[in-house]
Amino acid sequence: MTVEKTVDKTEQEQVQRPPAEVRYADELRRLRETDTAPRPPGWALSLEAARRFIVGDDARGIRRKFVGDPSLIDRALVTLATSRGLMLVGEPGTAKSLLSELIAAAVSGDSTLTIQGGAATTEDQIKYSWNYALLVSEGPSTRSLVPAPLLDGMAGGKAVRFEEITRCPLEVQDSLLSPLSDRVLAIPELTGPDAMVFAREGFNIIATANTRDRGVNEMSAALKRRFNFETVFPIADFATELDLVETEAAALLEQSGVGVPPRRDVLEVLVTAFRELRTGTAANGQSMDRLTTVMSTAEAVSVAHAVGIRGWFLRGEQGRAADIVECLAGTAAKDSADDLVRLRRYLEQQASRRSGEQWKALHAARNLLPG
Amino acid sequence: MAVTFIGVRHHSPACAGLVARTIERLRPAHVLVEGPADFSGRLDELLLGHDLPVAIFSYYRDAERVHASWSPFCAYSPEWVALTAGRACGAEVRFIDLPAWHPAFSERRNRYADADERYAEVSARLCRSFAVDNTDTLWDHLFEVEQDGDLEERLASYFDLVRGESPAGPDDTAREAYMARWIRAAEADAGDRPVVVVTGGFHKPALQTLAATAGDTGDTAWPEVPSPPDGAAGGGFLVPYSFRRLDSFTGYQSGMPSPEYYQRLWEDGPKAAANGLTEIVVARLRERRQVVSTADLIAARTLTEGLARLRGHGSPARTDLLDGLVAALITDDLEQPLPWTDRGPLTPGAHPVVAEMVGVLSGDRVGRLHPRTPAPPLVHDAAAELERLGLDRAGTVALKLTDERGLRRSRVLHRLRVLRIPGVVRQSGPSTGADPVLEECWRLDPGDAAGPRLSALIEAGAYGATLADASAAALEERMAGAGTDMERLAAVLFDAALSGCGDQSDRIAETIAAGIAGASDVGALGHVLGTVLGLWRHDRLLGTARSPLFGTVVEGCVTRVLWLIEGVRGGPAPADLDRLRAVAATRDALLHAAGPLGLDRDAALGVAARISVNADVPPDLRGAAFGLGWALGVAADPVRAVRGASGPRTLGDWLAGLFALARDEVLSAGDAGAGADGDVKAGAGAGGAGVLTVLDEMITGLAATDFLVALPALRQAFEFFPPREREAIARGLLERRGVRGSPRALLRTPVDPLVIAEASVLEDRTDRCLHEEGLIRKEPA
Repeated sequence: MTVEKTVDKTEQEQVQRPPAEVRYADELRRLRETDTAPRPPGWALSLEAARRFIVGDDARGIRRKFVGDPSLIDRALVTLATSRGLMLVGEPGTAKSLLSELIAAAVSGDSTLTIQGGAATTEDQIKYSWNYALLVSEGPSTRSLVPAPLLDGMAGGKAVRFEEITRCPLEVQDSLLSPLSDRVLAIPELTGPDAMVFAREGFNIIATANTRDRGVNEMSAALKRRFNFETVFPIADFATELDLVETEAAALLEQSGVGVPPRRDVLEVLVTAFRELRTGTAANGQSMDRLTTVMSTAEAVSVAHAVGIRGWFLRGEQGRAADIVECLAGTAAKDSADDLVRLRRYLEQQASRRSGEQWKALHAARNLLPG
Repeated sequence: MAVTFIGVRHHSPACAGLVARTIERLRPAHVLVEGPADFSGRLDELLLGHDLPVAIFSYYRDAERVHASWSPFCAYSPEWVALTAGRACGAEVRFIDLPAWHPAFSERRNRYADADERYAEVSARLCRSFAVDNTDTLWDHLFEVEQDGDLEERLASYFDLVRGESPAGPDDTAREAYMARWIRAAEADAGDRPVVVVTGGFHKPALQTLAATAGDTGDTAWPEVPSPPDGAAGGGFLVPYSFRRLDSFTGYQSGMPSPEYYQRLWEDGPKAAANGLTEIVVARLRERRQVVSTADLIAARTLTEGLARLRGHGSPARTDLLDGLVAALITDDLEQPLPWTDRGPLTPGAHPVVAEMVGVLSGDRVGRLHPRTPAPPLVHDAAAELERLGLDRAGTVALKLTDERGLRRSRVLHRLRVLRIPGVVRQSGPSTGADPVLEECWRLDPGDAAGPRLSALIEAGAYGATLADASAAALEERMAGAGTDMERLAAVLFDAALSGCGDQSDRIAETIAAGIAGASDVGALGHVLGTVLGLWRHDRLLGTARSPLFGTVVEGCVTRVLWLIEGVRGGPAPADLDRLRAVAATRDALLHAAGPLGLDRDAALGVAARISVNADVPPDLRGAAFGLGWALGVAADPVRAVRGASGPRTLGDWLAGLFALARDEVLSAGDAGAGADGDVKAGAGAGGAGVLTVLDEMITGLAATDFLVALPALRQAFEFFPPREREAIARGLLERRGVRGSPRALLRTPVDPLVIAEASVLEDRTDRCLHEEGLIRKEPA
């Protein structure tokens, strides 16, 4: 498989979300053409070019695709070039999966070798399974073998993504031990050279795990040792987060057929409220209760999106602070009564102290919270 | 060109090396260094042979502001190298910047901070295009790792780019104009011999222009050193410094982080620094029983090398080392971002491995002054004060706080105590703000003239030049250290009142406000609020009445208590008396201090109204919230509220809350006070029939078991009434029943009420047994 997966133009337009190597095929091609630095064996790009693909490079017209510390990308890429796997951990909504997709696209030119972890994930879905019709008629052979992402990645020398690894049962997680340490996968049903698949250069595993799910299936120490952990944090800088929410929400609203961009002052209130409820610290330094729900940037974008839609389709305008309150009840409080109480207390006591038209409107709309 | 300008970053080993090489090569007649000009005459003192790091401590005090700042030097400071190398080659060495007390420095605590906050935008762009986290990493990347030939040009283009066209602020303009005058004078004096100027890189381009153009006016006289204006005190002296303090400046006051790393870089180069520090980190972690296996070490080394190569470093830089270690050694998620990705010190809650690594790179070197260093003014100030007030002899002293001399003497002693100067021990005296003790007794023991007291005073000299300044600064530090621990904050606050320096510095108020904003213990907050409110309203003895500092504390506590109580949830629980006291203290603050302190009464009423009707709130707090609203004068219907609070399990606790907050209102609202003594107001109640009447009805209507359930909490609730008021209530009860008798007798039962209650339980149980066995007909209640 090459980097430019030849996806038909019309076909690509119909796809809701093509993989990163298709979305950014042009940038990857340009990077590869000018890439003179040495490449780790099996890699599609050099470390330097892979890093530029993710952190962006204005001079070469490469967009910044991940907002965060560049040093995190450095560590992640160097880790992948060594013999340890990469484990991205963090709160939900911190763009871990996006990052793993981008890294896989940069390193292997292919981000589709993905295992989605969950309570029902089995070893079949990770390693390989069989085409039972062929298995019965021909017996075990390479023809009747149906490879899963791990086998494909090892045989092809590619990065394999394992999403939400801690949601898998422990014994399923541990099936990664020997591929990670010995770099070999045994297929005992086959005989001869086919019975052992040795990983080719370029193979490694990028796993993601969610700190909220920690403790559901705690990883074994043996597996932990084979990964380098990188924690992905929510965006630290207010202005950066506001900009990101603004661009993302504007793009979503355009897709939804809303004719006006979101109001900046409303977004400011929204992002500030999200950040304060996420960190549990108000702007004046007062400590508050954090919400148990995840107040991620992604959630903020979806609230901004909903606010815009309400404003446009209900009243034909940009959306106001009152809409935030209504949308917050659904996103922030979800089904937790405690969070609803915390939110109400925030609106009552914190929003009332802020100056600014939109804060006043937010405070005035506090009664729209249900319950 | 006769004048060579070297633009440096303070505390940069690369720049220090450049300075040393340049001075060695040029052997100049004059070396001019950015530093306080008023210290130029005392360079001998600076070069006595101290153990570095040391700092010049500068202070300034006038009617409006108190300011202290430091100019720290370590072995790899370019300024220090300029001083020593300049001396060594026989040049005239001078500091040429304005003194630290000058208004141009009013915002700075660290002279050698990075002055790049104004260039944040340009720096951010640079960081982005080099794909690094922050300016520290960028600096290492550009200058510290490769110190080869064209360092000077690289530095020049960096500083030119960062400062760019942006005009200097008024402070920098003043400083640059002053420094340029020294440069012109030195240039004229040197004739054809070279002059070397070592300043911050941001000043270099401006100084070059100023020195070249303004020179035409022909003014080449040595500039005068400004002296502080009349009525103000300012000056400087040497203090021992430490790597910890060097690394603890935050935000825009900070310079280069990780002094121990750069010390080693300066001494042994980057490779040896990285290796040496890895060794220490691993040793420390193993000492702490953290698992660091050989495989981890190999991984750390591989990662560090890999990162260095990816980032184009010939040998690993500081963050290559840190990133490599952290990626290999930590197999957990982190609670907070790595401290070196964002400039700033370690925050509490950092991963222990990260904390250890940052600690090792920060180092624990502590400087020591040469014994012949002149003593700081605090030493003289303290001696003079003690002599003036007759406190310089050993013995026991009793002081009356009510007379003025006594109070002054007490304050001086308290200031010494706050500064932890040995030989000053208070044996008795007031211990809280509410303590009605007016006398103090102290035991004094000055000890040996050159003994521990002197060294403690020199150390304390870092806090300030006078006892008042120094103790205010020390209290400020303690207050910051107390964090959100209300008990410690209260202790510091009381010390501030005792030593009379509460209002010396706004920063004390700021710090305590920050502490209160983070506090989570309502009871402790209420305790502090009660005490401080008293001090703020009444205390003329310690001079805290209407003090702005105490006002800030009152305001902060009220806001915080209101915030915290709205979050309290829980089912029926025994009344939390501390919490009730906190609400009561809030009520007092709102009643007596709302106007002058601008407290938001309406917000408080809103909180009270919401809590009082929320069924998820514990009953005592609900009652208290209702009482708070009532006491603040909201027209309320207490009778309805009392009926609403019924239920034997919660009634007493609800009443405890109500009585704690609105005792007066309860007594005056209804008929209970009708026959009471004159001092208990009988008035028209808000609720027609009084609360007590309704209560009486309700309790009379309780079944016997319910009454026993409610009894303990009810007893507790009525404890809030003093005996005299209880007697009035009892009289009301008797009159309502038309019974003649002594109300006092009702309150003083010959038998302990507990015994009566127990007897009643026993009786009930007996009746029940008898009834079950069919021995009596009457069914027990």
